[in-house]
Amino acid sequence: MSEADDKNRYNLASRRKTFLGLDKEQALKGLFGGNALVSIVVLALITFFLFREGIGFFGQYRDSLKLYRSSGLEYVEIMNEQSAAFSGLTRYLNSIREDQTQLLKEQGLAFREIKKVQARDNDFFYGFEDLGYPLREYVLEKKELAIASRNAYEEMENLKVFRSNLLAEGRTEEAAAVSIVELDLSATVDQIRSGREEFLALNDTIEKELEALLAEAPTFEAASLNAKVERLGELTRMFIAEMEEYENRLLEWDSTQSIGMGRAFVLFLFGEKWVTNSSIQDWYGLWPLFSGSLLVAIIAMFLAVPLGIGAAIYVNQVAGPREQNFIKPYIEFISAIPSVVIGFFGIAVFGQFIRNASNWEALAWLDVFPLAERLNAFTAGCLLALMAVPTIFTLAEDAINNVPKAFKEASLAMGATRWQTTVRIIVPTSLSGIISAVLLGFGRVIGETMVVLLCAGNRIAIPDFTEGLGVFFEPVHTMTGIIAQELGEVVHGSIHYRALFMVGMALFIISLLINYVAQKIVIKYQISRG
Amino acid sequence: MSLVADKITLNRPKQSTDSMDSDSSEQARPLIRVSDFDFFYGDKQALFDVNMEMMENEVTAFIGPSGCGKSTLLRCINRMNDLVDVARIGRGTIEVSGANIYDPQVDTIELRKRVGMVFQKSNPFPKSIYENVVYGLRIQGINRKSTLDEAVERCLKGAALWEEVRDRLDTSGLSLSGGQQQRLCIARALAVEPDILLMDEPCSALDPVATAKVEELIHSLKDNYTIVIVTHNMQQAARVSDRTAFFYLGKLIEMGQTEQIFMSPNNEQTEAYISGRFG
Amino acid sequence: MTTATTVQPAPAASPISFRQKPSRAKLIERIFFWIFRCGTYFIVLCSSFIFLTIAYKGGQTVFQTSFPFLNMEFLTESPQTLHVFEYEGQKYEMSDQDFRAFREERGVDISTTTYAHSGGGIWPCIVGTVMLVIGSMAIALTLGVLSAIFLSEYSRPGRVLNAVRLSILNLAGVPSIVFGIFGVGMFVLAFGWGTSLMAGWFTLAFMVLPIVISASEESLRAIPQGLREASLALGASKWTAIRTNVLPYAMPGILTSSIIGVARVAGETAPIMFTAAFAIRDQLPWEGLDRWYDFFFEGVMALPYHIYVVSAKIPQNEYTERMQYGTAFVFLFIVASIALASILLRIRMRSKYRW
Repeated sequence: MSEADDKNRYNLASRRKTFLGLDKEQALKGLFGGNALVSIVVLALITFFLFREGIGFFGQYRDSLKLYRSSGLEYVEIMNEQSAAFSGLTRYLNSIREDQTQLLKEQGLAFREIKKVQARDNDFFYGFEDLGYPLREYVLEKKELAIASRNAYEEMENLKVFRSNLLAEGRTEEAAAVSIVELDLSATVDQIRSGREEFLALNDTIEKELEALLAEAPTFEAASLNAKVERLGELTRMFIAEMEEYENRLLEWDSTQSIGMGRAFVLFLFGEKWVTNSSIQDWYGLWPLFSGSLLVAIIAMFLAVPLGIGAAIYVNQVAGPREQNFIKPYIEFISAIPSVVIGFFGIAVFGQFIRNASNWEALAWLDVFPLAERLNAFTAGCLLALMAVPTIFTLAEDAINNVPKAFKEASLAMGATRWQTTVRIIVPTSLSGIISAVLLGFGRVIGETMVVLLCAGNRIAIPDFTEGLGVFFEPVHTMTGIIAQELGEVVHGSIHYRALFMVGMALFIISLLINYVAQKIVIKYQISRG
Repeated sequence: MSLVADKITLNRPKQSTDSMDSDSSEQARPLIRVSDFDFFYGDKQALFDVNMEMMENEVTAFIGPSGCGKSTLLRCINRMNDLVDVARIGRGTIEVSGANIYDPQVDTIELRKRVGMVFQKSNPFPKSIYENVVYGLRIQGINRKSTLDEAVERCLKGAALWEEVRDRLDTSGLSLSGGQQQRLCIARALAVEPDILLMDEPCSALDPVATAKVEELIHSLKDNYTIVIVTHNMQQAARVSDRTAFFYLGKLIEMGQTEQIFMSPNNEQTEAYISGRFG
Repeated sequence: MTTATTVQPAPAASPISFRQKPSRAKLIERIFFWIFRCGTYFIVLCSSFIFLTIAYKGGQTVFQTSFPFLNMEFLTESPQTLHVFEYEGQKYEMSDQDFRAFREERGVDISTTTYAHSGGGIWPCIVGTVMLVIGSMAIALTLGVLSAIFLSEYSRPGRVLNAVRLSILNLAGVPSIVFGIFGVGMFVLAFGWGTSLMAGWFTLAFMVLPIVISASEESLRAIPQGLREASLALGASKWTAIRTNVLPYAMPGILTSSIIGVARVAGETAPIMFTAAFAIRDQLPWEGLDRWYDFFFEGVMALPYHIYVVSAKIPQNEYTERMQYGTAFVFLFIVASIALASILLRIRMRSKYRW
């Protein structure tokens, strides 16, 4: 080899063409990198936007709560609560009457005769009921006062904003034309509170009259009615005891007490009411929605976990290759059914089926049956279970499949049955994978929208766990459902709009948490293979 | 460019004096020179101050226990270690025919065309045998059928595989046996017409018969190529190589004519390793 | 165990028996495996029941016994109000359009019972869904596949890359309604696009983006490192190595993941409810545009949203049922075909490439 040759051959410098100082390789890398950057930025934007739109909620909610207090509405609401409690009593009272009517009817009495029998106790029943009217009217009057003053105040606030906008645009003359009267909310509050004596007097009367009425409560022939009357007495005495509490709360109430951000935050996370478009006060409490979501998810997981994991074990350990080749794709295929179709199926077929089934003789021993609502947590839970099964099945089957063959062979070689091998070797080894499968299934269920929107019944209430099994058959509302239902109607930037974003944010955080934990579990307990 | 050229001329006269074994064949001249070479994976130093030369048209074998840095050095020679993100050079140079391959101006693509590599695990592409061999040419833009056909025959013959596969050039490279796959990989490397072939334990996954064939092949390739082979198998080193370098814990312990290393090593550790007392 | 008290004579002669012996362990095994088997087939049965119910009832709307065997009115017309009335002793069911013509022709005023959304067909919904899918997948695939190539081939491994990967993986599990509300906040309101095709495209695209990225990256990383090294050692540039020895083998995987993405995009309702879908729009997306780009800023009808509307907003009876089941059937058929394609492709692929 001559030196000239060497020179030529070992010129190792780049011979690639460049454009704008970049060769093709660098340009391509830039293209890919740019795309990756865009994707990551976009995905980060999701967090940002949820945050941006949602975070203003707390400030607005606090202001709203402040106004609720300073306008005296909160004060009125305490009285209202008492009035509502009394209404509860009268409802119970009336149920006694209804039961009696029913009994008499069964005895074959005509309507007129029933009336005659009942006329005996009219003093008690009507007297009891009438006691509530003055209280209710008193509260109503005060409430209207407070609402009127609050509305006026809000209007003024809006006008102020309007004026400052005009000023900002330099339209000073128009701004000057906007007349603003400073409202003093405390005047109204004083007005409302000044009636305290009257309220106390009302309470005193109610207390005395109630006691008098109870003393001569009627007795019936039927033992069940007497028991109810007894119970009414108990409830009434409880109410009387509570009346003092209400009075104390009114006394302690202070319109100037401030409300912090923390309070707004706590009221959002743990508030028990989600009430919108109310004339008195809107409440944005996550709790009923969260507990509804949770209830539905628990029902779904209760069904889907055993089915999904059982099927995974069966397919991986028991089924023959043919069965495997059929069942595996089939169950994966289920996950392709759009959720809205499943929801539709729930409304059209399954809900009705549940209600019909609840009328079966064979199920009569369950005291919650028959059901009144065809759309309830259970209906939605069952359908969601079907959606969670493919997720759990696929991931759990993967995890079981990843158990090294050697483990299984070693166990079988020692004379263990396949079941023993499954329980003692395969499941424990793949447990981390199975747990994360369950978690991801749970995430899927919590985040599902259409099925719960269509089938869960959409009643905003915290599930009543005192009802025992019945709790599973209550209509509930969910976090996903509320967004889907209400987002279409809200005004951009309103407190309601922001509240929905906060619900979205909560969902976002919950699902991220679930995913994160699931991945951590898998990584931490991965079986080392190789 | 001029820089590289300068280095070549500058380095040229050193050749005879730098030679470690002056008693080796007179034509032998160093093609690869490693000087004061330190190499790191992250914080961990993998090579310590390595100095050595590999002669043109000779087979140089690297031996040593696992993790001694022999594969690392091999992969440095065609800069495959660039793919490892934490890898970096601490000090020193590697020159191929006088050109510093770690010069910033060096294009790894040009380098790797000159310095071919055969891997421990045979890794034919999931393409036909024919396409496997011509891959290196195609990526250079050579697509003329006659050129490619000629190259396939030449390289497969060169890799002693022609007779076995001439009738089934269209079948997948993955359908060959392990030994054939490895020879296909060698043929593929030959197609680019490199000067140097780096072999990273090419026979470790092969059975004795296939190993013998590959060794035979290495022997015959020596006339046209400079070969550097990493091996775990000392008999193999003894059989195929002209020179042997013994590495231990990232250091070059001893290098010399294969016979000398195996018969009368100068270093105690070398002797211990060769006689099978550790490693 | 039972032989502990009665000592048997020397067992030396008795041969070891490998015959089946009933034991408790085997009984337990049987029972449990049967329970699991029943559970597995219970799942299969339940889902089959759903498929069959919808196929049977929907099939009555979509198919007919005479030529062309498909109910062309249902597939090619817009949803309309259904009029049910009696005229001269005969009972008629007519979509709004036909009814007007009928009334005009006879010149009489007929009192009818009307059922919203129950007449006509679902053509605009099919068109809208197809458009949503095409647009959003174009966006998601471009961004997703190119990002995946960068993450898998070019990026430096380390904390940052792991964090990016982890967050992408996590985002894949975020509920679709969250993407929906994000789409409302960003595209519909902040960007001022309104309820429009564009807003729907981007919302859906971002919803599947994490799935596309992580699935594509997974298929890229499944390609053995040896192939990349071998081509680099032969003097290929990085891009050449990727183009010739990584992408071709990763393509089936990327394709499968994108088909799954298509099924997801087509099947989701929550993200488009407020970003793209109209309950009713008289014109097809390309009709009645003032300017050509209005096309992008008008909402469309979509199958999933239509199902929601007809199942939640109108009562159930024999007339509305036709529309409900028919739409559900067509929709299920489309989505299921896409999903089936991806499952079959994956099965084929698994047997084709084994490293």
